Amino acid sequence: MWEQIGSNQRKSVILVVAMALLLVVIGYVLGLYFFGNGMGGLIIALVVWAILNLVGYFQGDSILLGMAKAKKISRDDHPRLYNVVEEMKIASGLEKMPDIYIIDDQALNAFATGRDINKAAVAVTSGLLEKLNRDELQGVIGHELAHIKNRDVLLMTMCSILLGTIVILSWYASRVMFFNAMVGGRRTSSSQGGGGAAQLIILAVALLLMILAPIAAQLIYFAVSRKREYLADASSALYTRYPDGLASALEKLGASTCQLKSANKATAPMYIVNPFRKKGMAASDLSSTHPPISERIRILRAMGGASPSEYDRAYQQIHQKGGRGIIPGSAISAAGAISLRAASPAAGKKEPGEMQRKRETSDALWKVNKYRTIDCECGTRLRLPPGFRGNRVRCPHCGRTISV
Amino acid sequence: MLAAYIIGGIVVILAVIFVALYNALVKLRNQVKNAWAQIDVQLKRRHDLIPNLMETVKGYMKHERETLEAVTKARNLAQQVASSGAGVRSRAESELGAALGKLIAVAESYPDLKANQNFLALQEELTSTENKISFSRQYYNDSVLRYNNQTMVFPSSLVAGMAGFKADDFFEITVAAEKETPKVSFT
Amino acid sequence: MICPVCKSDMIVVEYKDIELDHCLDCGGVWFDAGELALMLQSLEIAGHGLCLAEIIKFPEAISSEKKRRCPICGHRMKKTILGKEPGTLIDVCDRGDGLWFDGGELAQLLKHLVKSPGKEQNEPQKIINFLGEVFHAQE
Repeated sequence: MWEQIGSNQRKSVILVVAMALLLVVIGYVLGLYFFGNGMGGLIIALVVWAILNLVGYFQGDSILLGMAKAKKISRDDHPRLYNVVEEMKIASGLEKMPDIYIIDDQALNAFATGRDINKAAVAVTSGLLEKLNRDELQGVIGHELAHIKNRDVLLMTMCSILLGTIVILSWYASRVMFFNAMVGGRRTSSSQGGGGAAQLIILAVALLLMILAPIAAQLIYFAVSRKREYLADASSALYTRYPDGLASALEKLGASTCQLKSANKATAPMYIVNPFRKKGMAASDLSSTHPPISERIRILRAMGGASPSEYDRAYQQIHQKGGRGIIPGSAISAAGAISLRAASPAAGKKEPGEMQRKRETSDALWKVNKYRTIDCECGTRLRLPPGFRGNRVRCPHCGRTISV
Repeated sequence: MLAAYIIGGIVVILAVIFVALYNALVKLRNQVKNAWAQIDVQLKRRHDLIPNLMETVKGYMKHERETLEAVTKARNLAQQVASSGAGVRSRAESELGAALGKLIAVAESYPDLKANQNFLALQEELTSTENKISFSRQYYNDSVLRYNNQTMVFPSSLVAGMAGFKADDFFEITVAAEKETPKVSFT
Repeated sequence: MICPVCKSDMIVVEYKDIELDHCLDCGGVWFDAGELALMLQSLEIAGHGLCLAEIIKFPEAISSEKKRRCPICGHRMKKTILGKEPGTLIDVCDRGDGLWFDGGELAQLLKHLVKSPGKEQNEPQKIINFLGEVFHAQE
């Protein structure tokens, strides 16, 4: 049931192929219009696509993480986060432990990168670590590792590059066309009187394509992204055997009003919730990378088991559609019924509260920012910035002088 | 002549199918092996954590000698049978899981202990190790299920029979965190 | 974090699980919004979190003191008076990032607290009392 999810991307692949065809058509028609030769346009389209691919390859994950101002952490910096990631790595059957990053931001979000599943990374915001309990964090990390395991990062990178090429081509072509129309439109039409009708048809098709292609590509892109989001939710439920954890995490994420400061359009599908979600916006329509949070929560809450087929059943129950699910068929048939586990920790035990989680998180952030920690005997804790000079510091609470 | 070509073609196709099915079985069997190795790693980690835990709690829990001894005893037993088969091991490990669960439940009534930084760190490690054991068991059992299915469905059952792929055992174990939760069942 | 007055790196003082940013050069203190909410929460005041929003709504104080920029968002902060008789002149980020206590103001506040510890139990007074406790040795 695990590999199947990864390999059964047929529908997604068909959509990617549709986008590629769109690119070929737009290149051909524009070539026909500008040079009277479709092949020329096609070559230009492919060259633009190749350049964007190179850019995408080289400005890889490190730059993405850099733009998000993410800091890499080790096991000692934040043991709980590290452990939860390792637990999900085991549950998902990933072979290599992904790198873990923290983003110093009060917004609640998380994302995964890495086109190669052996060189992947997950990043979470500090706000997320402070607000979520262990089960909820597990659900979110399960969702992110599912993106890695299902190879969504690769798929979405391919999609966004195709989309980018189509948008760039149409944009430039429309500029050139308008420029031509203003400067030399008259001359073109009069000098080629004979082929006028054919020319006009090509012009009309080109115009239509320039307007429609970027929109169509965008819609395909969103459709692929939303599908992968559902699948990642289903996989997270399968890994954790506890869909309520992810559901309750999504409730907190949806209620949070903070917007991520360093979000990036290209990486939007990799976040657990859409980082560009505006307040009060019903993020439910076709023009979103993510399905609406409330719907994702309702599906997860309606699950009576942890298998992908159960997720599919819950999805259909909520949509009340006749037999059309969201999870690929082979992912369903391969898995039997899988029962849920109970909430952890078992009733009666206490989990670290918000205060403790906040200190745990800021402790990790100070460590990765290379602050030195000094504990005064009176119980006050001082943290000195890496640029701190001088060899003693006075405790403001008890007045002791502590040598650094 | 033509017949020879046709027969030759069929033989080649059959060989290709055989190799593909064989490789699929090998891949699944390796996955089962890796999953088993992962369980091993986590169980070893559990055994390694216990002496540390004992050292930390014994100063606080003087009146809980029985509980502490039960854990130590179960751990020693589990270590002794570490190289035995799945059945023996899972019994010993379940015992240890139950003893640990009891210890942690008792620890809840010692506020001093719960304020101890060392204990808190150990508790996080222990909780996570118990989780990792149950997740690796979960993945192992899923892998076994898939492998066993593959050895039983036609046509790869023929390949499995010829090349000697045998069905594997599932691994059942109780961990400290799931004393009262329903067992994961595969139907 | 960078001190809004002297632009040097501030140290962090963690007391009773609350973090404050403190400048060793000018003695100023930054009380971050999240930490403020946590502190009031730990004192179990109903309706926590509202406090900073209330302080933002305080009337603007007339002062010749230079305007400070919020060390988080970089926007100019608003001057206002916290507490009663004599009250402390503070800077508050009107985007809700936190409060800034100038070094001089803090010293005065502490001196005053030593003479007559604040009795009133409203939220601004709790903030002042907490700062007095943390920077006990400062005065």
